[in-house]
This record gives sequence, C-alpha cells and structure tokens, in this order.
Amino acid sequence: MAEFSSRGYFALPGPKGQNCGERNLQRSSNFRQSLRLPQFGSVSVAIMRISAYNWTHIVACLLVGVTAMLLSFGALVTTYEAAMAVPDWPATYGHNMFLFPWDEWFHGPWDLFLEHGHRLLGAVTGMVTLCLAAVAWRSSVRPAVRWLAVAAVALVVIQGVLGGARVLLDDKTVAKVHACTGPLFFAVAVAIATLSRRSAEVVAGGATRLPVALLVAAYLQLVAGAQLRHLDATVDPATFRGLVALHILGAVAVTVLSVVSAVVLGEDGSTAARRWSKGIVAFVIVQFLLGCGAWVANWGVPSSILPEGWQLAEPLRARSVGNALVVTGHVVLGMLILGASVVLAIEAGAIGRAAGVREGRASERAFA
Amino acid sequence: MRFTFIMAFVATAVGCGKTPPASFRLNMVQATKTAAPESGMEKPWSSWANDRQKQVATILEAMYGTPDAPVALAETGLDLAKLQLAAGPVRSDIVGRKNGLYREHCAHCHGISGDGMGPTAAFLNPYPRDYRPGKYKFKSTWRDARPARDDLTRVLHDGVPGSSMPSFALLPPAKVDALVEYVRYLSMRGETELALYTYAEQELGVDDTMPTTKEFLVDEILTPIVEKWQGAEEARIPIAAVPTTLDFTKPGDDPANHESVARGRALFHGDGGCVKCHGVTALGDGQANDYDDWNKVIVEWGKEVAGGLGASQDDAGRAAWLHAATDVIEGDALRPRPIPPRNLRLGLYRGGRRPIDLYRRLYTGINGAPMPGVGPSGPGGKGSVADAEIWHIVNYIRSLPYEFDGELGADRPMVAKDRL
Ligand code: HEC
Ligand code: HEC
Ligand code: HEM
Ligand code: HEM
Repeated sequence: MAEFSSRGYFALPGPKGQNCGERNLQRSSNFRQSLRLPQFGSVSVAIMRISAYNWTHIVACLLVGVTAMLLSFGALVTTYEAAMAVPDWPATYGHNMFLFPWDEWFHGPWDLFLEHGHRLLGAVTGMVTLCLAAVAWRSSVRPAVRWLAVAAVALVVIQGVLGGARVLLDDKTVAKVHACTGPLFFAVAVAIATLSRRSAEVVAGGATRLPVALLVAAYLQLVAGAQLRHLDATVDPATFRGLVALHILGAVAVTVLSVVSAVVLGEDGSTAARRWSKGIVAFVIVQFLLGCGAWVANWGVPSSILPEGWQLAEPLRARSVGNALVVTGHVVLGMLILGASVVLAIEAGAIGRAAGVREGRASERAFA
Repeated sequence: MRFTFIMAFVATAVGCGKTPPASFRLNMVQATKTAAPESGMEKPWSSWANDRQKQVATILEAMYGTPDAPVALAETGLDLAKLQLAAGPVRSDIVGRKNGLYREHCAHCHGISGDGMGPTAAFLNPYPRDYRPGKYKFKSTWRDARPARDDLTRVLHDGVPGSSMPSFALLPPAKVDALVEYVRYLSMRGETELALYTYAEQELGVDDTMPTTKEFLVDEILTPIVEKWQGAEEARIPIAAVPTTLDFTKPGDDPANHESVARGRALFHGDGGCVKCHGVTALGDGQANDYDDWNKVIVEWGKEVAGGLGASQDDAGRAAWLHAATDVIEGDALRPRPIPPRNLRLGLYRGGRRPIDLYRRLYTGINGAPMPGVGPSGPGGKGSVADAEIWHIVNYIRSLPYEFDGELGADRPMVAKDRL
C-alpha cells in the first residue's frame, strides 16, 4: 500500500485514494527526516522506518477497502434475493465456512456464490477489524481512534450475528437491521481511517455543523431505503406509500444539505473540505438518477403519478443484469455517500472537537 | 443453547420480533358486499359477518393451504410440485434450485393472494391484475373462457407493453411454467372464495353455517370452476385465413395494402363501431369514463353504499354493515380508476403487436375491459364483422401510427408523439 513518491517520502493512499500521509509529512520535519534516513541504509534506521509507518491508518484504509467490497457483495445478495441460498450458519451446508469446497463455491450457482462469498468477505473483514483494534490500541494515542476501533469490533460481531440470525430465522426485520448496521460499521471504519491520519491536527473547530446534519440525513435516508429494499410482499399499498414518501423526503433533505454544505464550505472551508463537499454533491446527483432507475427496475414506471402516456414502449426485462447493476449501484453509492459525509464532517471540523482531534496534536508529536 | 441465547438477544435488539408468516387475505369487498344483514339476526352484524368469514377462511385453507404450504386437491388438476416451487418464501438449495418464485418476482405487484394489491400497486396504472375473478385480457380463447396455459406463458414471456407488467423472458422455462401454474392456483382459489360468498348470500339462512361436505365443496363449488380452466385449451377462437388482398409483410401505406386498409378504415368507422370509444381520430378520445370489471365492482358498490348511508339509519345491523362497507372500500380496495380507450396511433399494443394478437383482440374484444369484440360471442354465433374481414381492420390498425392525417393538423407520423 505504501509507496515512495517522487519527493522521497511515503505517500499513503487513503480511503478515496488521496494521499493521507503526504500533506502532514510535509509539515512535520521530524517525519521527513525519519523517513529520508533509510536511504542511507542501516539496520537501526530500518527499524525506525517501520515504526514510522502509521499502521493504524494503513490498516484502517485496508478495512475501508475490504468493507466497501463486502457491502457491495451484501447488496448483490439482496438484489438477487440470494439470502437463503445457504440455509445454515455459521456452517455452510454443514461445512466449516472456511473449508467449504472452493470449487463448489466458485463454480456453483450464482446465489450460492454471492451468499457464501459475502460470508467469506465478512470473515476477512472481521479479522482486519481485529488487527485494526490491536494496532490502534497499541500505537494510536488518540483516544477517539482507540474507542472507535473498539466500537468497530463490537459492530462487526453484531453484524455477523445479525447476518446469521437473518438466515436462521429467515426474517426480513432482521435483514433490515443488518442492512442498517452494515453501513454504520463502514462509517466507523471511514472515521478511523480519517482520524488516524497524522494530518488530522490541522483540523480546527469548524465554522459549520452542516456536515453533521448531512451525515445524519444520509444515514436516515439509508434506513428509509432499507425499508423499501427489504419490502415484505404483505405490506399494504398505503404503508408502502408512506415509506416511499419518507425516502423521497430524505432524498430532498440529503440533496439540499449537500448543496448547502458545498456552498458554505466553498467559501470558508479547507481545501479538502471544499473538495469532499463538491464530490458529495456529484455523488448525490448520480444517486438521484440511480434511485429513479432502481424504482423502475424494481417496480415499473409509476404511471399513476406521471402524466398520461408516460410508459416504456417495450416492457422491462425482469432480472436483467442492467437492472441489477442500477439497483445495486444505488445501494452502494448510498453507502459511499454516507462514508464521504463522515470524511467531510471530520475535514470540516464539524465533529473534530467531539472526537478529540484538537487534543491529538501533542500526542501525535509524542508518537513521532 | 448458546444459539438460543444469541437469538433471544437479537430478537430483543430487533424489538419488533419476527415478521409474521405470510397469509392469504380474504376478498373483503366480496365478503362484505354479500353479507347484507338479514332480518332475525340475533348477534350483532359484525360478529355474525365475522363468523361467516371465518368459515370461508377455514374452508379455503383446507382446500388450498397457505402461501407457504399450498395444497392441490386432485380435482383441481394442479401440479403440486410446480406450486411448491412458486410458493413460500424465497430460498434456494445447493444446486441452485430456487423456491418462492412468486414472492421473488410477482407478489410486490400482484399481492400474496393474487388480489392485485401488492405494496406497489397503487403507483401503477393500469393496476396489476387481480387474479381472483379468473378474468384475463390477453388470450386466444373465447371472451368468457379462461386463458389457456400458453396464453399465460406468453404474457409472462412478453410482458404487457405499455403497462408495468415486465417481461420474464430471462427466466428459464421451468420457472415460468411454475409461475403460470401458481397463477392458475390463485385464480381457482379466488373463484372458489367468490362462489362461497355467492352461495352464502343466495342459499344460506341467517343461522346456517357453510356446509363442509365433499359433495358441496368439490362437486358443487369446485368442479364448475375447474372445468372452465380445463376447458380453456379447447376453447380457442377460430382464426380465419388471411385474405389474399393484404400483405402483412408490407407497411400499411404500401400500394399492395391500399385496398385492404381502406376496407379496414370503413369497418372501423362503420360496422365495427370502434369510433364510439377510440374516436374518429383513433386517438382514444371517444367515450372515456368507463371502468374495467375489476374497478366497476368497487364503483358500483361504492355508489350503493353511499346511497344507503344517506338513508335512514334506524336499523343497527344495516348501519354497521354500511360503515364496514365504507371502511372496506377505502382500506381494502384500490381507488377505482377509469380505463381510457387506447390511443391507437401510438402503436402500443398490450396484448402483443403481431397481426394474430390484434386479430384475437378484435375478435373477442378485451375480456374484463369495455372493449367489445366484433366476432361471434361463442362457437356458432355471428359477429358484427365477418371473420376474414377482421384482418382488414387489423391491417388498418397497424397502419394508424404511420397514417398522415391532415385533419389532426399533424404532418408527421404520430408514432413519435408521446412515446417515452
Ligand atoms: C411491476 C409490477 C408487476 C410485476 C412485478 C408483475 N406484474 Fe403481472 N401485471 C402487472 C400489471 C400492471 C398488469 C396489468 C396489465 C393490464 O391490465 O394491461 C399485469 C398483468 C398480469 C397478468 C394478466 C395478463 C392478462 O392476460 O390479463 C398476468 C397473468 C400476470 N400479470 C402475471 C404475472 C406474474 C406471474 C408475475 C411474476 C412472475 C408478474 N405478473 C409480475 C404488473 C406486474
Ligand atoms: C366500448 C368502447 C370500445 C369500443 C367500441 C372499441 N374499443 Fe378498442 N379499446 C377500448 C378500451 C377501453 C381499450 C383498452 C383496454 C385495456 O387497456 O385493456 C381498447 C383497446 C383497444 C386496442 C389495444 C389492444 C391491445 O392489445 O393493447 C385496440 C387495437 C383496439 N381497442 C381496437 C378497437 C377496434 C378496432 C374497435 C372496433 C372494432 C374497438 N377497439 C372498439 C374500448 C373500446
Ligand atoms: C461482518 C460484516 C458484515 C457486513 C458489513 C455486512 C453487510 C451487509 C450489507 C450491506 C448487506 C446488504 C443489505 C442491502 O443491500 O440492503 C448485507 C446483506 C446480507 N448479509 Fe451481510 N454483512 C456482514 C456479515 C454477514 C454475515 C456473517 C452473514 C452470515 C450469514 C451475512 C448475511 C447476509 C445476508 C443473508 C444478506 C442478505 C439480506 C437480505 O437480502 O435479506 N452478512 N450484508
Ligand atoms: C439522493 C439521495 C438518495 C440516497 C442517499 C438514497 C439512498 C438509498 C439507499 C442507501 C438505499 C438502500 C438501503 C439499504 O438497503 O441499505 C436506497 C434504496 C432505494 N432508493 Fe434511494 N436514495 C436516494 C434517492 C432516491 C430517489 C430519488 C429514488 C427514486 C425515486 C430512490 C429510490 C430508491 C429505491 C427504489 C430503493 C430500493 C432499492 C431496492 O429495492 O433494491 N432513492 N436508497
């Protein structure tokens, strides 16, 4: 993951591929020195170099990546209604999950591939989370990061058990909860990755709390979306209409908040905050289109609320790959918007104080 | 043990606990409509009506089972293996065979009971089909007959263009087969329920309970229903030979078709009686305030109930019935919507665009919709247009989207208009 940049010090790809380590290292002459030293090559210096890695941040970034994959897999499981492709848990068709024949999984039915794959990825994620907690507890002195890492461990365990319960009870309510805690875990992973950067100290108290509102709205929107997504066929039309209204309302709230945040931060935010807030607006626009597409792909054109004659000339093909990509894309992008709002809230300093970032400054120096 | 503990924890955390298993909903409109209070009732109306509904529900469960565990009486001729593939919650096994197909693909629109009132139904226009009366629109059989198996298969394969009913062409044939069987099952169940209400209304006294003998349930109620379904394969309408004066491989404005299209136009405006609804322009702007049969039931009963509510209320049973009826119309039925005659210049045909599809639509009309047929209403009858002539109307209809019509003030093909 780490690589030498042309300027001779480490550039660590962060959650969204931006250089998390770089900006901060430029600022810290201590670091620059310690990192340049290895070029002269000696054993003791090599050790220094290793300890100079920001392991918490590296593992957190890894966790963000693995979790994004896991969420996508989970979303595919739901899209293809493959949840019950493996009826037992924690075993897979009586096999220990890790010993389930690789070949049978990979070349087996699509539904089995998705469900078992989701479980395997879930296990990998669990292990990475444990590593993160260990590293954070040992090396990170920023209390917020430590405690978030502990929260991540708790969440991943709960999430795994919820996944198992969803299958064993074959229950949609559990599925909804599972769909809502998954992104919560992702948000925590992103928060750890962002807060564990050494540059976090530049974040001063923010001028605006808007990003926090955006973050909350994005999460509530996801909760509303999960009600639509794990729709029980016994729900009556009136209740469904209510759920739809909620999700539309949420979409409006998220859109307005993201635009206002971008405008406000565009004036007096840091460079990073400005970039992230603009990126979120772009995400939200795409998300809006994907949402409309997901609707049509799932439930057809809502012709009773559209002008007369608005219909597709050709019937939609149920279960086409295109449909699945649009629907799954909407879900995954929804979770990415949540993750991006977390970064923005931290970058804009909106939750920095609460997370003890300011206090982090002194301890970072001690760490170096 | 440890598991029980974990599950208990999860159930508590979830709060609401498990979603209840799916169950069939009674046809509340018919149940209430046919339960007008009679003189000499000892119980209050609501508990009397409740008893009767329970009797019907019990009989239906014995005859048809539940959404999770369907029952197929031998007399129905339904294939239980197929039903089991389509019924129940979605799950699949290690070789990838998937159960619960109906809930996976159809129930969110057509509803668990096939009542056309799935969660999303209110957003759709037309509403999803209510299978319970056994009426289908797009089929190759006589108007009053049930659809043949391959009619339903075709609807599933092609979808219904211009409505929200998608095409299931990507599903393997075995799955489509199972779904078709399940649609027939839901229809038979719905028709049985209707027959029971009708029987109760006409034959049962106030204090009588519904008979549960085999003679009654199978011979009197079920057999006539099943016979209709099994007779569907033999109830196809005859297809006249295509006249030599028309050529469907060529467009309507091709000289080879001029004569035929002119004949079709004459029939459309004359004997066919099409302009009454579709309008002289064929834009569907004729009589437009009619309802299809599914909505008409609600509209007419709604008027009756509203009229009754206005009248005197000194009979407590009657008042209770009318209030229950109001609740049912508002809560257990979708808001009725008129069915406009089709704009024939869009080139959008719900029952399929092949000439043979249109021939069938015109021959029998559209069952359940106001659209009448021009062919005979049954074998041996006589229609308003001779069978072979229907092909000319078909030809004319197919030329309409491309017809340049000065009267409309449009100098371009109408087909581009309004198309999404
Ligand atoms: C997105 C909603 C939707 C889904 C999903 C859907 N349908 Fe439909 N279906 C409709 C609508 C709307 C109609 C009514 C079309 C009309 O009246 O013109 C319809 C009509 C039908 C008809 C009646 C056709 C006729 O000839 O009258 C059948 C049969 C049917 N659907 C079966 C199914 C089956 C089986 C499935 C699942 C595999 C399914 N539908 C899934 C919306 C849906
Ligand atoms: C009483 C009114 C009425 C009359 C008379 C009538 N139609 Fe229709 N027609 C309708 C309605 C209503 C529909 C829409 C049905 C639906 O949506 O299911 C329709 C639909 C159609 C369709 C579309 C079929 C499809 O597959 O989508 C065609 C074609 C059509 N009519 C042709 C004709 C022709 C030709 C005549 C004269 C022979 C005629 N109609 C007479 C009311 C009428
Ligand atoms: C440990 C971390 C895990 C995370 C972050 C996670 C996340 C997710 C997400 C985001 C979804 C998609 C929800 C949606 O699209 O609406 C999902 C679905 C699902 N997950 Fe997980 N999951 C995890 C572990 C597990 C485990 C261990 C199981 C074990 C069985 C499991 C079983 C499922 C099932 C069955 C679904 C489909 C639910 C449905 O469609 O009803 N998950 N998961
Ligand atoms: C712009 C902000 C929006 C956000 C952030 C958002 C977010 C989400 C999320 C996260 C989910 C999945 C929930 C889960 O299962 O975990 C979802 C589902 C859904 N959303 Fe949105 N959404 C937005 C706008 C819209 C719009 C405008 C529409 C369409 C009118 C829409 C339609 C849907 C539908 C149909 C689903 C269910 C998908 C399914 O059944 O598989 N969304 N949304």
